[in-house]
Amino acid sequence: MIRFENVTKVYDQTARPALDSVNLEIDRGEFAFLVGASGSGKSTFLRLVLKEDRATSGAVYVAGQNVANISSWRVPRLRRGIGVVFQDFRLLPQKNVFANVAFAMQVIGKSRSIIRDTVPEVLKTVGLEGKEHRMPHELSGGEQQRVAIARAVVNRPGILLADEPTGNLDPTTSMGIMGVLDKINQNGTTVVMATHDDDIVNEMRKRVVELRNGVVIRDEARALYTSMIPVVGQSRRLKDASGRPDESATGPGDGSVPSSAGESK
Amino acid sequence: MRLAFILGEIGSGLRRNLSMVVSVILVTFVSLTFVGAAGMLQLQINQMKGYWYDKVQVAIFLCGDGSTAAGCATGTATPEQQENLRTLLESPAVSQYINDFQFESKDDAYKHFKEQFSNSPIVDSVTPDQLPASFRINMKDPEKYQIISETFASQPGVETVIDQRQVLERLFSVMNAASLVAVIIAGVMIVCAILLIATTIRLSAFSRRRETGIMRLVGASKIVIQLPFILEGVIAAVIGAALASGTLWAVAHFFLGEYMSKQYPDTAFISPAQTLLLAPALLALGATLAGISSLLTLRRYLRV
Repeated sequence: MIRFENVTKVYDQTARPALDSVNLEIDRGEFAFLVGASGSGKSTFLRLVLKEDRATSGAVYVAGQNVANISSWRVPRLRRGIGVVFQDFRLLPQKNVFANVAFAMQVIGKSRSIIRDTVPEVLKTVGLEGKEHRMPHELSGGEQQRVAIARAVVNRPGILLADEPTGNLDPTTSMGIMGVLDKINQNGTTVVMATHDDDIVNEMRKRVVELRNGVVIRDEARALYTSMIPVVGQSRRLKDASGRPDESATGPGDGSVPSSAGESK
Repeated sequence: MRLAFILGEIGSGLRRNLSMVVSVILVTFVSLTFVGAAGMLQLQINQMKGYWYDKVQVAIFLCGDGSTAAGCATGTATPEQQENLRTLLESPAVSQYINDFQFESKDDAYKHFKEQFSNSPIVDSVTPDQLPASFRINMKDPEKYQIISETFASQPGVETVIDQRQVLERLFSVMNAASLVAVIIAGVMIVCAILLIATTIRLSAFSRRRETGIMRLVGASKIVIQLPFILEGVIAAVIGAALASGTLWAVAHFFLGEYMSKQYPDTAFISPAQTLLLAPALLALGATLAGISSLLTLRRYLRV
């Protein structure tokens, strides 16, 4: 469903690449976590899938199509096949729950009757039946994220990209959201989720792709947030980490602390 | 569905940006009023030129019923006097100065008069008999007017010889200067309008960046995202153009039609209907300006 072939993305010629020769394939119907510290390239990965940015070199395939060959007026069609969920929900504050979800269908020209039928169905899938007429500020964070997920999947995309969807939520609420994402995945949607949340990754036991400094350093099925076994590219990690404390020994979730402290200088 | 959606977006955009939209309307209104004023002055010049202005320079008016000039002692010019004048015009002494000439009978004069003064109440009280017949002369060199005047002024049956250009040219040069000033002011105001439309669209795009961001993500087409913004600018500009057209009509109707034509009954003024010919041009100009300026702004500030 998503295939990266030797993809490199350079934002700034003088700095290191955001993604460095990434090879990765995510199959149809798969559920994959994208983990790694801030600045490791997770967001760049998602942006390249959406063709928000263009790869500096290499090829990105989405649903079998090289996105570099999609002309700009057909990019909307590519994006209709991809749902996106963010950490900050991005709901429209002046629209109620129903209107927020319906908005995604209105703007691509779906008829009123289809919208009337589909939206309640999707709201039920995400567990929000009976809350159609609430405004976003009347909802809890978890409920708001459910609305955002409903909006992302209402047009039945083949792929759902989630950029730290649980970043603003407490652990219990997060598990609820994961349940929704899992249900959507069970229905056949490919889900790629970028996250820092080690508890969730450990709980779900799905495929884990770990990025560091734009390089895939681990790609395991049914894995944990941190590796239990010596990882591929260990020597490279040690080289990258030269001059810093040995990061490979740090515990779950701590990995981001030393590296972000180093970057802020 | 999509149309209803786009209309709804336009409505909410206009409401949210009301003060900016009003200023766009006013600026386009003022600038297009100046454009229209320049157009009206040119129309008025054409109206005053009448049938003969661009064709001939000198008119020899023959004696009419009530003529008091020295050469008119015998009353209305006779056909013989007419023939004599024609022979004189064709004689080598005179014909070397003129390209050609035409005879305007009383009936022709009445027809041309009716055309030129169609908007004026005077047209109803004039009969063909009151209008003099004339010879209209196209000069090889308009500066040689004096020669024609001296030759014909004393001929029997001639009431007067007039150099039309001298009468109207000074007035026309004032009016042309006025329309030039109007065009310059209009130009400055149009630049102002373009910049204001650009700023308004930018603000509008900024205040709705959440919506447009989501539209992008769910795969709305470029047209659905951008059209509401472009139409917002175009609608505001078209309202401004409509106000400008209305103002020009009001000037023609109330100022020229009701006031000026009573003060100067012997001058032909343009009719209010003629100013409405300018309206489509003003509307098109306003819509084009707004469309282009919003399109360029969106290209920079609303990536799709």
